[in-house]
Amino acid sequence: MHEPVWEFLIVNYLFLGGLSAGIFFVSAFCTWLQVDGVPAYPRIARIGALLAPWPVALGSFLLVFDLGKWWRFWKLFVTFRWESPMSIGSWLLLVFTGITLVNLFAWLTEDERNRLFARIPAKTPWRPRLLALNRDLGAWKRRLAMLGFPFAIGVGIYTGVLLGAVQARPFWNTNLVAQLFLFSALSTGTAVLILARVVQKGPKDVAEFRFLYTLDICLILLEFFIVVPYLIHGELSVLAVREALALVLGGPFTFVFWVLFMGAGLLLPLAIELWEFKPVLLGKGTLHITHRLAMTAAGLVIFGGYVLRYVFVFAGQASGFK
Amino acid sequence: MAKNPVKRYAMVLDSRKCIDCKACIVACKAENDVPLGVFRNRINAEHGGAYPRLRASFDPEQCHHCDNPSCVRVCPTGASFQREDGIVQVREADCIGCKYCMIACPFDARFFNEETKVVDKCTFCSHRVDRGELPACVETCPSKVRTFGDLNDSGSALHALLESRRYRVLKPQTGNGPQLYYLL
Amino acid sequence: MDRRLFLQIVGAGGFAATSIACPKFFGKGRRAAEPPVPLGIPTTCELCPNKCSVLASVRKGRIHKLNPNPENPKSRNMLCARGNAAIQQVYDPDRLKQPLIRAGARGEGKWKPVSWDEAFDFAAKKLAETKAKHGPEGTLWSSTEGFQEVFFKNLGLAFGSPNILRHPSLCLASVNLAYSMTFGTVPSFDLQNAKYVIMAGANRFESIITPDTMDLIGGVMERKAKFVYLDPRFTVTASKADEWYPIKPGTDMAFILAMIHVIIREDRCDKAFLDQWTLGFDRLVEHVLPYTPEFAEAETGIPAREITRIAREFADAGHRAVFYAGRRSSWYQNDFQMRRAQAILNTIVGNWDREGGMVPNRKVAKGEFMFLPWDDPKAGRVDEVEKNFPLASAKDGVYLQTRENVLKGAPYPVKAWMIYKQDPLNAVPDQGKTLKMMEGMDFIGVVDIAMSDTAWYADVVFPESHYLERTDPIEVMPGIWPAAVLRQQVIKPIHDTLPMLDIAQGLARRLGLADYFDYTIDQWIEAEARELPVENGLEYMKKHGVVAFSEPKYGTTRNAAYRFVTKSGKIEIFSERLAEAGHDPLPVYASPAQPPSGKFRMILGRKATITHAALAGLPWLHEQVPENDLWINQDQATRLGIRTGDLVQVTSTAGTVRIKARATEEIRPDCVFMLHGFGKRSPWLKLVHNVGAADAVLLETAWDKVSGNAAMHETFVNVVKV
Repeated sequence: MHEPVWEFLIVNYLFLGGLSAGIFFVSAFCTWLQVDGVPAYPRIARIGALLAPWPVALGSFLLVFDLGKWWRFWKLFVTFRWESPMSIGSWLLLVFTGITLVNLFAWLTEDERNRLFARIPAKTPWRPRLLALNRDLGAWKRRLAMLGFPFAIGVGIYTGVLLGAVQARPFWNTNLVAQLFLFSALSTGTAVLILARVVQKGPKDVAEFRFLYTLDICLILLEFFIVVPYLIHGELSVLAVREALALVLGGPFTFVFWVLFMGAGLLLPLAIELWEFKPVLLGKGTLHITHRLAMTAAGLVIFGGYVLRYVFVFAGQASGFK
Repeated sequence: MAKNPVKRYAMVLDSRKCIDCKACIVACKAENDVPLGVFRNRINAEHGGAYPRLRASFDPEQCHHCDNPSCVRVCPTGASFQREDGIVQVREADCIGCKYCMIACPFDARFFNEETKVVDKCTFCSHRVDRGELPACVETCPSKVRTFGDLNDSGSALHALLESRRYRVLKPQTGNGPQLYYLL
Repeated sequence: MDRRLFLQIVGAGGFAATSIACPKFFGKGRRAAEPPVPLGIPTTCELCPNKCSVLASVRKGRIHKLNPNPENPKSRNMLCARGNAAIQQVYDPDRLKQPLIRAGARGEGKWKPVSWDEAFDFAAKKLAETKAKHGPEGTLWSSTEGFQEVFFKNLGLAFGSPNILRHPSLCLASVNLAYSMTFGTVPSFDLQNAKYVIMAGANRFESIITPDTMDLIGGVMERKAKFVYLDPRFTVTASKADEWYPIKPGTDMAFILAMIHVIIREDRCDKAFLDQWTLGFDRLVEHVLPYTPEFAEAETGIPAREITRIAREFADAGHRAVFYAGRRSSWYQNDFQMRRAQAILNTIVGNWDREGGMVPNRKVAKGEFMFLPWDDPKAGRVDEVEKNFPLASAKDGVYLQTRENVLKGAPYPVKAWMIYKQDPLNAVPDQGKTLKMMEGMDFIGVVDIAMSDTAWYADVVFPESHYLERTDPIEVMPGIWPAAVLRQQVIKPIHDTLPMLDIAQGLARRLGLADYFDYTIDQWIEAEARELPVENGLEYMKKHGVVAFSEPKYGTTRNAAYRFVTKSGKIEIFSERLAEAGHDPLPVYASPAQPPSGKFRMILGRKATITHAALAGLPWLHEQVPENDLWINQDQATRLGIRTGDLVQVTSTAGTVRIKARATEEIRPDCVFMLHGFGKRSPWLKLVHNVGAADAVLLETAWDKVSGNAAMHETFVNVVKV
């Protein structure tokens, strides 16, 4: 067994980065989908735009904090090494965080913008310049969504590529990790939005939930159909990979992987969401929107996403070639 | 074969001669000011069997100074680099301590130095090698397990050993091209 | 005594230097063509008795690294873990930094830092008081070997004490005596050229001796010498051997006698050699008749057919076969006779003074500083060596007998104890008895570099300068590759410490003995360097650190004129002197006592990082072995419900310790084992204070009957899970 080098800070960061990517993706998707020239699900789009920057910002903060010499993190941005996933990822994160922040600004109402700018102390010398910036970016929403898509997907994939690119750890060494992390990121993002819409005051729009549920069910299924081939493929692979998989198939991570991730984090929320969706599937009515069940499902998806990263970060480091 | 002006340093280990005496480890610590609790080199001991049919083997290991070092590849700042003579090193001033290289190394040859707050590793004692001396572990070894030298120098003892003896490298399937050669 | 005589003869015989050390020796198989780089100041390691040549590299006044000095062929261009860790002794924050006088009760740990003058005045007053009350013989001067031991010993002698007690009776006295009684000298074993090596217990791959360890591993792995190893424990040495037999402890002699039996029965001896050089072979033939391989099988547990085969292979390898003597504390009360049996086995295959066999030691000539001689002491030794062990070295004394007699107060009281560079509480079996002996002393003075357990119980502690901080006399190391080495100062003392010579002078001045020490270390080594086989000896030594012969010489004693330094002038298979002293003239085997059921024999041993009690606490060595544990056979452990890591209580008649257990396959079911150097009483030894347990607490008092050497494997213990 190797001593873990990356620990919970990295798990948190991978999770939070993916979460932002997911939230932004769904929000941008809702912006991009238009009905008669208006975003199809503006409430989802807006809450998503408002939430998207914060997890990744916190995650990046954690990442920098985890560095041996955090004050040297700027060195990441004076070099670009295409061979290093972390170098690519740092740039992706930087750009993506920027876009999410601009996008957030774009989704602010005029009121909100004014309130924000009012907080700047009157004596601040560059206040007038800032005030001049108080422009309505509302018209850019769709362009920002389009611009943000590739970066959101990039950040979602990157959290997986960061691990998958390490040849030395057979547990990670397959491109399925990147896809798995991406779909998990999108799914947790969707779940956050479900949660946000459930707790948000105001009218609940069945169409919104139908959209989010559809999306989440698809994403969970995609995840499931990546995990299964990941295991099958691994079991048919070389010894080192089989030994690595033994960590989850009959080793220290078995419980966490099967019960907490596959069971509680993937199949259980899938079952709940399908249950909620059943009337639609059977063509016998509309979606249930049961607050508790929705919150449970969303919570479990988020929890599952976290556990997935925990298992991969720790089991991956424990794996190696003999 | 003519002598290639470009050096390619490597090490041959006859681990059957290793008596697990730890001289290499302590010499390395002294030479390179390695803090307590972490190591640039180690001896992997394996014990097996049941009394009285027992066996034990000792394999010294350190950075393999790979031909195709995965640690160098993943470094986001270029602090991990490979010299022209093959020695893989960390430029302390550029290392941000992200530890990605530690994870990328299939040999667990790197560690985090809590005193310098950067990643640390075997340098083949490049400061000594550049002066024409041997790495500290090579020089100090009581049973002379290690032979250090230039692969491109057909006259070196290292070359002679690799030509006359059978050997293996560890974890060749990683594709790293490790340059510690273990005699069979 | 015999050995010394032999060496004088050798000197007179004109073993002149044929060539002095050159890197040529190491040229084989390695790149040595490059010009030598000034790697550091040449000096000589002091971490164990091997005295390896080192080059100390200093950066900004601080010793940065110790490197092996390739010029000394004996040290085989290497420096082990211990040698490398010596730097940490110098910069140990808990080192002794100035003289200390005890302020509280003994062992209470209250110390008053004092000036050297105060320390000298105090000790001199106490010594003078003892002398006035009990005579000079009321003082005991004990030390372990070291280059400056001579000054300590001379101080004791000049003071008039007969009780100069040196370390051999805790170490190699039985080996030396047995080989001296047989050959008139103690030979070395040419493991670099041997083709067949049998070793019993000496564990050379963990208990490093230069050049034997290096030559043996090279011999086994490169030159395909066959290596048979006997040890109750599966050591690193066992793992490298072609054959390992976990022989029943205490029965080595049966194995050896059975080998002799087979070799004689099958007429595989070197007859010509035996006829020309030896005495008593015919008696041996009769003597070994009952020692059949079947007999040995019953004793040792090694199958008779294997013993027979090994004996045949051994004899067939002839003069390139050696039964290695080893060099460690005695194990059993028959140790001397067991070594004699070894010597005889080696003799009958004719490996004496042959390449790949046993080779008498050569020396490098060295001058001597002439100092004012003193009168011989009037009193006899307190250990009454002449009476108890007439064959043993009266100059070195017998440690355990000394302790017994001091405790009894007979033949006379000993009330002051000066100790140099030694930690009797850990080096001598039965710590409880040693403590009692210390309690009976009116005065105890200790010279050391660290606050050892013994220093902790002293009245005054004199901090000696570390070996890297002082210049020592030139030392000659006899051997197949003999060398003379200089230990020269690398850095100035960093604390208020003094070398032993200055300490001796300080005390001598106050004891009215100043005339005997009116010289400096420089004058001393200058005199010594004068006769070295190189020009400008002193300058050469300062530059190179060593003068050595790089080529071995064989067969110098195989000439008609040569007379062995024995009574008969021949190699004595049968020893009349032994018979006269009341011992068996040929080794007679008696079955040793075995542990009663439920008990285990406690055995000792070393690890390459910890060979001496003082080393376990050096951080770089300590991190390799942070704590000692009790090895117990897996089956026995299961039976007793003990698992690795469990705390167990180990009890002998001498004492009780608590220690963690290690259930392992790598030891015989009737033995337990623990490493030396842990469980220290002195809190200044932070890393090992109360960590693990001290073997000296458990070991019982037992000695070899002929040499008086402490027998370390005669303790039975019981083990209970706590």
